[in-house]
Amino acid sequence: MILSRRSVMVGTALAAATPLRFARADDTIKIGGIVPITGPAAEAGKFMQNGAAMALEKINAAGGVLGKKLEWVIEDDATTNPGAVLGFSRLVSRGDCIAYTGSIRSTQVQAISPDVVKAGKPVMFGGTNPGLTQAGNPWLFRCRPNDNYSARVISDYGVNTLKKTKWAIIHSTDAFGTGGKDALVENLGKLGITPVLVQGYTNQQTDFTPVVLAVKQANPDVVSSYFTFENDLGIFARQLRQLGVTAPWVGSPSIINTTALNLAGRALFGTYGIADYTPDASPEATAYATEYVKRYKANPDNQSTWIYDGLLILANAINTAKSSDPQEIRKALIAVKGYKGTEGTYNFDEKGDGLRGYNVVRNENGKIVFDKRIDFKD
Amino acid sequence: MAIFLQLLFTGLGIGAIYALVALGFVLLIRAASVVNFAQGQFAMVGAYILVVGVNVLELPYLLSMAIAVVLMAVFGIVFAATTYWPLRHRGGLPVIISTIGASIFLENIVLFLYGPSPEVLPGLFDSPGIQIGEVFMDSQYLSILVAATLLVVLQYLIFEKTLLGKKLQATSQDKEMASLLGIPVAFMILFTFAYSAMLGGIAGMLVAPVLFVSVGMGGLIALKAFAANIIGGYGSIPGAILGGLSLGVAETLGASYISVPYKDAFAFAMLLMFLMVRPQGLFGEKISEKA
Repeated sequence: MILSRRSVMVGTALAAATPLRFARADDTIKIGGIVPITGPAAEAGKFMQNGAAMALEKINAAGGVLGKKLEWVIEDDATTNPGAVLGFSRLVSRGDCIAYTGSIRSTQVQAISPDVVKAGKPVMFGGTNPGLTQAGNPWLFRCRPNDNYSARVISDYGVNTLKKTKWAIIHSTDAFGTGGKDALVENLGKLGITPVLVQGYTNQQTDFTPVVLAVKQANPDVVSSYFTFENDLGIFARQLRQLGVTAPWVGSPSIINTTALNLAGRALFGTYGIADYTPDASPEATAYATEYVKRYKANPDNQSTWIYDGLLILANAINTAKSSDPQEIRKALIAVKGYKGTEGTYNFDEKGDGLRGYNVVRNENGKIVFDKRIDFKD
Repeated sequence: MAIFLQLLFTGLGIGAIYALVALGFVLLIRAASVVNFAQGQFAMVGAYILVVGVNVLELPYLLSMAIAVVLMAVFGIVFAATTYWPLRHRGGLPVIISTIGASIFLENIVLFLYGPSPEVLPGLFDSPGIQIGEVFMDSQYLSILVAATLLVVLQYLIFEKTLLGKKLQATSQDKEMASLLGIPVAFMILFTFAYSAMLGGIAGMLVAPVLFVSVGMGGLIALKAFAANIIGGYGSIPGAILGGLSLGVAETLGASYISVPYKDAFAFAMLLMFLMVRPQGLFGEKISEKA
């Protein structure tokens, strides 16, 4: 008797709850996102949420999408590949997200890529490994320039502007670092240069003495790098200077991001960075920086700009498509041409690459000084 | 040769940190038969207390360290009371699982309370280090080596030369017998937890200027320290020290002379080799004695 009464109660509760849930789900249009809330990139995850909050406010102030408010629901990716896969599958199994946002870390985008194909909905992401958009996954849309361009800019700047020919390349052995290294070796090769040292390291090291000594022995006249995590970059930078390597250093974007500048401090003075986002690159970038500093009392970096651009572009595309149908949204995304974002002017191609250029900046005693922007047509 | 000496110095510095954390492991294994998988997080908590003292409250460095050491002792007792005490009669496995849970809890509570921003701590000395010939000796690595030596000597004196130490040893050898002899076993175990948390905390504070302070810093060290503990001999104090140092040197030399990307593999290859060839480790007791 009790049992049946209880099951009746449960049944009633469920019946009452179900329409409620659906009613609430209909209130907003949802985009799911994986975010590193825990793990080594937790701070970057905070920056990412800052950028997303600014984008959502702007989108909803302008009327939202398809006449409803846009909501960004997030899951922790724990800065790991299994975490990313798990987080993404939780988002997919909710069943109410019409599109997604991915990670700025290539390795994690690569990890979720098969599930993205299965989910069959657009995913905006920030990882820069060139292969991510070229492996035939139609749903990945990159909101940063890929590393073919970063490598072209690094090699062009180092060889033609700094006039350096003896190159050392330091790279993470993850998908991002390896992709960047391959692209840089290829581009240097086109300029007739074989690096004197190509040295990989695994993420999250306690000590970089062996790497620094390898650099010292190779005696390069320029050091270039693809670092994934800022703490690794900070330890390497300090030990590099301590052990007396003074060669100029041109780094991938992590060398100028907010966390790295805090951690490494003086050890990065005088270095060059390739930046997808820098406040002085365009009026849009400057306006974003002003707003960000006002809201968060901190300097913005690419950890927040790509998601800001990504959500705005996605919202525009959904409104252009006038539909939540994934194929229609995809068509609208590929049709985006000449959109001026904080990271540059977006022109999406069939593969899902939106940007084709980088800024060159210098670290002058801790201040990031914009040098020039290099954009490519192909 | 200069390169070899440079690597040796760095390897010893990193190895000393593994050794300090491994010492904390060993003490708890001996006193309470607990394998504490939150030992690395002890280091992280210690480093964060120092960050609050130095960077937030702007207290003098050594005073902050002293306060942090005292707080770590208190923390060790709270840890014992919550993680170990309720499960102490349930055998080894529940306590191990409980310490793993505590390690996850500690990382997330610090993330929640302090936020995700990694912090920079200045070193003990203003000077970055000394240059001897072609070898650069980082002042913080030197501090680590000196502090580790002092702590090991201190620990030897306490354990071998004082009544307290004898009581601790008696407790670790046979709890029932010790309590029959009038040794307050519960107090001894709590003391060991406090001491082991202090050691872990000091390791964290010493390594913080080298590694930066982040929530995940403990995990980086703890696995290696655990390996050091096995290599040195499960539950052996000199083993933990020698195991830690040799692990630090082996991985640094291996990285430089063989392969940097496989650096972590050297530590664990060494662990596997020991498990196969000499499972009792460098200074291990024969299992029969323990039983």
